Amino acid sequence: MSRGPSSLAITLRAFPTLLRVGFADAVAYRAEMVVWMLTTTMPLVNLALWHTAAAGGPIAGFGQTQLTAYFLASFIVRQLTGCWVVWEMNFEIRTGRLSQRLLRPVSPLAGYMAENLAALPLRVLLSLPMALVLAFVVGGREFSHDPAIWLMVVLALCLAWLIIFFSMAILGTLALYLESSSSLWFMWQGLFFAFSGYLFPLPFLEAHAPRLFHALHGLPFYYQSGFPLELMLGRHDRAAALHYLGIEACWALGLGLLLAVVWRAGVKRWNAYGA
Amino acid sequence: MRRYARLFALQLRTSLQTGLQYRWDFVVEGLTGLLFALLGLLPLWVFKRNGAAVPGWGFPEMLVVVGWFTLLKGLIDGAVNPSLIVVVDHIRRGTLDFVLLKPADAQFLVSTGKFEPWRVLDVLVGVAICGSGFVLLGRWPGALDLAGALLLLVSAALVLYSTWILVVSAAFWVVRLDNLAYLFMSIFDFARWPVTVFRGAVRFAFTFIIPLALMTTYPSMALLGTLRPATGALAVAGALGYAAVARLVWRRAIARYTSASS
Amino acid sequence: MIRVAHLTKEFRVHRRDAGLAAAVRSLFRRRYDTVTAVRDLCVEIVPGERVGFLGPNGAGKTTTLKVLAGLLHPTGGEVRVLGHVPQRREPDFLRQITLVMGQKQQLLWDLPPADTFELNRAVYSVPEADFRVRRDEIVELLGIGDTMRKPTRQLSLGERMKCELCAALLHGPRVLFLDEPTIGLDVSMQHTVREFIRVTNERHGSTVLLTSHYMVDVLALCPRVIVIDRGRLCFDGRLEELVRSARPEKRIVVKLERPVERADLEAIGHVVRHDAAVAVLQVGNASLREAMARLLAGLPVADLTVEDPPLEEVMRDLFAREAGAAGADADGTGGPGGGSAEGPEEGEGDE
Repeated sequence: MSRGPSSLAITLRAFPTLLRVGFADAVAYRAEMVVWMLTTTMPLVNLALWHTAAAGGPIAGFGQTQLTAYFLASFIVRQLTGCWVVWEMNFEIRTGRLSQRLLRPVSPLAGYMAENLAALPLRVLLSLPMALVLAFVVGGREFSHDPAIWLMVVLALCLAWLIIFFSMAILGTLALYLESSSSLWFMWQGLFFAFSGYLFPLPFLEAHAPRLFHALHGLPFYYQSGFPLELMLGRHDRAAALHYLGIEACWALGLGLLLAVVWRAGVKRWNAYGA
Repeated sequence: MRRYARLFALQLRTSLQTGLQYRWDFVVEGLTGLLFALLGLLPLWVFKRNGAAVPGWGFPEMLVVVGWFTLLKGLIDGAVNPSLIVVVDHIRRGTLDFVLLKPADAQFLVSTGKFEPWRVLDVLVGVAICGSGFVLLGRWPGALDLAGALLLLVSAALVLYSTWILVVSAAFWVVRLDNLAYLFMSIFDFARWPVTVFRGAVRFAFTFIIPLALMTTYPSMALLGTLRPATGALAVAGALGYAAVARLVWRRAIARYTSASS
Repeated sequence: MIRVAHLTKEFRVHRRDAGLAAAVRSLFRRRYDTVTAVRDLCVEIVPGERVGFLGPNGAGKTTTLKVLAGLLHPTGGEVRVLGHVPQRREPDFLRQITLVMGQKQQLLWDLPPADTFELNRAVYSVPEADFRVRRDEIVELLGIGDTMRKPTRQLSLGERMKCELCAALLHGPRVLFLDEPTIGLDVSMQHTVREFIRVTNERHGSTVLLTSHYMVDVLALCPRVIVIDRGRLCFDGRLEELVRSARPEKRIVVKLERPVERADLEAIGHVVRHDAAVAVLQVGNASLREAMARLLAGLPVADLTVEDPPLEEVMRDLFAREAGAAGADADGTGGPGGGSAEGPEEGEGDE
């Protein structure tokens, strides 16, 4: 009995096309994308607070310019690592459209991934104005000058994207069990806000809540925002950076595996009960 | 008037019933609301522990502002934003016709289209945060201050609601506005801190163009007894004028929708 | 009751050619076209009438209905419904009319229809007792006792439409505007809806103005029809007259004992169908007698019946003829009133 190509092979072969289609889609929705980008006001809101707070002197080693660099870069990191797969999955599961995706020989997860990845070029483009502001206001002074560190920044950002995509997809998959999981996602988002260094650089906690500070380095949230930012600002030497990169890679891998398990079980359930 | 009060109650009940249709989401949503409100305090705690300060605002005073912000955010998320999303949907699907054919004020009907009952929690948490600020201060606002603050709360609500009406009116011209609600909310986030953390042009904009100062900073100052009465009066007058303009624009938008030149 | 005098409704549509260059150009200079959806329409309807409103897509049916309901302002002419100017949308007027749109729904999606009914009771301030009586009557007629307690999102299209009708009639309107109320429904469901409309009209003497794509609806419900095409009134009168005026011809169905030459048939009348056993001829009313005589005399006829042409074909013919006429008189509007994708008929709901 001859067997056709494995689904992995099909997926790999189809991936470039999926990316191309996804890119065209992203271009078509560029106006919405700009509006979404403009809704990322949190870094600026917090910059205003901490900038004023640091007027009396640096906080935990962060002076006013460095805070500016931190939060403006945080805006850009947020753009580059943004995904929306949890919304799409919730929508498609509620309306039953997921069935159409399941009929195709390509894994729906690969499809979602391609769509979210394909928006990246446009997101980079849209982030350019903010990068220019950053260069103009801060310049190169506050950033690391070590090329090896920057290599690790790139790696850290890639892993951050994976962590975000995987956790979103896991929560999206939960909609297969719960009808709707968007409120669960909001909860996760709340934890991200508080513990990732998005509202304030985590080193602010070091002196006052050392146990919490260290614990947060073991959670995935820090790697979605705070870690790449601190790397850029040259706050970690190579050895420390490698150590954290290792933890980040473990999280990406672990969440990826968890997604595979949850997804498989969820689809089985979906097939059994239908939409 | 009594008829509208009854209608209002009925719309509220309908929203509650709708929320209960998705049980799981309903429960998690309540918990999430609480979590978010409390997490909002975390930066403030870090702020205090690091000995930071905003000129003119001690930690308890900052608590009052953040509490006020939480309260108002609960009000918007609970009573204003959901209806905005509903009405934009009406316009897109063409079902606004049904609303216009009802023998009741269309603005009233669309403004009460949907509520998020859980956001009451935010309002309560907001009041609690405000209260804890005053506990730290060791004093309570005077009756007059409280009345002034309530008056400003009404003004702030009016300004927010009018902005909402303007946004909806815009939907008659530009159809795709789903994102606008989120944009609206994310700009409101700037009202989280006293307006004094901003400087120069930004502070001017947040005082006069997008009057965020009116929404949180001024009412907090009124509560604290540091707002000059003239500033308060001006703020109230501004809010009333703004509301009148919004109502006018709404009427024009509806007239345009029905005379539909395109 | 309903008086429409010289009603004209024009839409201004923004014209943009396809392609990127055109899109950029339109940013700077917008060109507008005026599309006339309804032109110089004069109609009077008396209380208790059931009137069918016919016309092809984009003829201006929905536009007229919306003007009558007060949702659109007329560009010209005068409209009175129940003595009111509809576009003012006075509460007193709105309480006496209703509009049902087969393609749109007012029921709350996540809740059972019963909740929408309750909401409408409050909005229309219907007294509790009247509400009960009316609701129970409608619920019984449509058989939706159980349906109205299930969330709307779980209902089938037909069940939903029945509940839509109920929601639209709970305030006991005197004028019913029904825009495609049976669209997408299966045959038996169409029948139920039609019967319901008829009973409502007969019991309460309400006036019904109905548009439909299904001729059966009109055939079964409306003694009087109004036909418009490209915004103009083509016909207003009794249904039989329409058939007679549109096609003053009859059909002769002939069963043949053995095959005959087509030429022999063509000598007698217009051949609609011809095969070995059956032939269908179409002849004018005046020459019917003669044609029958010639058929019986000259051909091997086994059986012979005379029929009216089907209504669907009558309409198609009528509109084709009107289209030819409109093409001939060069009045400059160019093209059908709302036939394009941006035409007011289909597009207006999305404005």
